[in-house]
Amino acid sequence: MPSIDQIPISIVSPDEMLTGQAEAVLTEIAGMLKHLLDEGIEGSIDLRGLALSGADRVWLEKQLGLGEVEIMLEAGGRSVLTETAYPGVWKVMHRDDRDRVVAELIEVAFVPAIIRPATGDVKKGYKSLLLNLKAKTAGA
Amino acid sequence: MERSDTLQEKMEQNGMSRRTFIKYCASLASLMALPPSAAYAMAEALGKAKRPSVIWLPFQECTGCTESITRSHSPSIEGMIFDMISLDYQETLMAAAGHQAEEALHAAMKENYGKYVLIIDGSVATGLDGAYSCIAGRSNLESLKEAAKGAAAIIALGSCASFGGIPKANPNPTGAVAVSDIIKDKPIVNIPGCPPIPVVITGVLAQFLTFGTLPELDKLGRPKAVFGETIHDRCYRRPFYDQGKFAKTFDDEGARQGWCLFELGCKGPVTYNACATTKWNDSTSFPIESGHGCIGCSEPDFWDAGGFYKALSMPADPLKMAATAAVAGAAVGVAISFANRAKKGAAKSAHETTKLEDLEK
Repeated sequence: MPSIDQIPISIVSPDEMLTGQAEAVLTEIAGMLKHLLDEGIEGSIDLRGLALSGADRVWLEKQLGLGEVEIMLEAGGRSVLTETAYPGVWKVMHRDDRDRVVAELIEVAFVPAIIRPATGDVKKGYKSLLLNLKAKTAGA
Repeated sequence: MERSDTLQEKMEQNGMSRRTFIKYCASLASLMALPPSAAYAMAEALGKAKRPSVIWLPFQECTGCTESITRSHSPSIEGMIFDMISLDYQETLMAAAGHQAEEALHAAMKENYGKYVLIIDGSVATGLDGAYSCIAGRSNLESLKEAAKGAAAIIALGSCASFGGIPKANPNPTGAVAVSDIIKDKPIVNIPGCPPIPVVITGVLAQFLTFGTLPELDKLGRPKAVFGETIHDRCYRRPFYDQGKFAKTFDDEGARQGWCLFELGCKGPVTYNACATTKWNDSTSFPIESGHGCIGCSEPDFWDAGGFYKALSMPADPLKMAATAAVAGAAVGVAISFANRAKKGAAKSAHETTKLEDLEK
């Protein structure tokens, strides 16, 4: 009878194992897209809250693919919002000004909310632009 | 800077845009295991919130918790805490000293009575009526009872404040106890760790400001979002544990291959904390990733838990086992000899004298 040491074991690195969670995420995204279409409700998934393996991430990245839009946001560090091959599904990576990843999300929305400026910000910008134009007119 | 300013106004004065604030809230929501959508709700609520008064009292501590939280020099998640709050008293950081500092403390407590958040780091010495740890001629015990009366909530920061920590280690010469052993009539959040992960305190404060409530706590008063899972549950070396691959020494082939450190004393399976995911030093690493087992620093009495290098599967205290056996009816002497048989046998064959100290290791 073989001893326990003789029983062959295949050691798989954690990063090489598919855990099945990536497939669950894809299914959840499909559900969120339906919710967006039927009721206009946006959704998001926090990827850092899930115990995805390296292989899971690679698989998910491949499944989502790339779309037509990539947005760079410089606000307290660089953020990148990339539309996937499925319009309305965005990969969002937020970094701080030390280039540390502070959040990694999948957002399901027509346009991620962080991109739309607040009404208050637009009003301030409008007033600032009027002052700028007035100054130019006065200078001329 | 007026404390009546809202956080939004404070942000704008510091040149922080709304989008930066939303990013910050997204990271906090992620940390506190809130739904990602909570980030926008948090941004809106925090933006309108007035800066709360925070009073920080250090007791029997090493200042490691303050060091942990203040090791950030740029606008970062940890650094934001000082923008979000009005830190009215903190001995290590404030410029004032002596009587001026004490006057500032009492003025802040009076002005914000019933509304301030009280942060305590360090254990509370109770021996000799608290004489072992005094500040400005008053025992920490007395100061805690006074400050707690007007606090809206208390955050016990670090393992010392949460559970007694290292000062409480056997034989506990100062009679060190946790904050929750003294204060029974205020909501207390324990954020243990030696030191605690810095961003946790920011998350707790943000949740308090946004929702007016403290986060959901476990049976030891710790935020479940951070302390809901063991290190073992999220450890990247877990697959090796499951496959039965353990490092036997710190420099063997298993250690070099990054195998599980269970046999080298890792306390990950019984330690609840977020080190495996949030990590340390700007998310660089955590003890296991650096090759050393978890020492369980966010658990009560971790210092007396039987040794950092003894595997969890080994009995921590054979004499305690003997006492248990005696209660069950077995002879104390026989129980001890069972626990020490291997050691005595090895010593005999090596021609060494076994001393009582050897058996107690």
